Amino acid sequence: MIDWLYFAVQAAALAMSAWFFVDTARSVRVGRRHLVGVAALELLLLAQLAASIAIVPGEAGDGKALFFSYLVTTILVPVAAVFWGSIDRSRWGIGTVAASGLIVAALMVRIHQIWEFQIHV
Amino acid sequence: MSEDTAPAQEAVDERPLAGGFGRLIVLVYVVFAVSAGARALFQVATKFGEAPVSFSLSAIAAAIYLVAAIAIIRGAGRLAMAAVVVELAGVVAVGALSFAVPDWFPEPSVWSHFGSGYGYVPLVLPVVGLAYLLKRRKGV
Repeated sequence: MIDWLYFAVQAAALAMSAWFFVDTARSVRVGRRHLVGVAALELLLLAQLAASIAIVPGEAGDGKALFFSYLVTTILVPVAAVFWGSIDRSRWGIGTVAASGLIVAALMVRIHQIWEFQIHV
Repeated sequence: MSEDTAPAQEAVDERPLAGGFGRLIVLVYVVFAVSAGARALFQVATKFGEAPVSFSLSAIAAAIYLVAAIAIIRGAGRLAMAAVVVELAGVVAVGALSFAVPDWFPEPSVWSHFGSGYGYVPLVLPVVGLAYLLKRRKGV
């Protein structure tokens, strides 16, 4: 994994989560700017996937299937949260999407561990 | 939804069990069901003999997460409550056992050490879920 890209994803996920939780507290409905925020995070995640497809197969470890299954799941979580959350008319619509940012951050930590211990060995 | 004792029909329809904060809870349950479930299936399929107790418990935990998520989505308050209570009992019992009899857990399960491998979310989740379901049952 490319360190700066990994940290960029983490920063984006946590920033998006913090922003959306503020909007949760303000009872803001899911709007276009939130979709732009999620799209920005998704672009970084897709960059992570592209970089991983370029780098990971050449590494020595045996955790590659695990690595990619985690990464693809991570990419799908915010998308699922947007569909699931945006139909809710209470503050927890955006709150659900906010939580997905924390889930992405946690999954990325796990992905980084797989990289450190099972791929880049 | 059948649990909801709110008198007005509209009030019941406005707030399904999977609405509001329930929506966030369902997202977390689904993510845990999928991630713990996929991991447990992989472990059971490839190396069950290394830690049969841990991997079985992880698979059970994943199944309970799935039941809780589906029960909340479908508004089955009673089933959701049962799943969350079993989950809370499970994480406390397995958490304690993993400290008392570490030999049974050569590899961690989802509930080992009270879910420390998953940021203690497995311990917090049933407490939050139970609080939410109890609050909704009273129709507050």
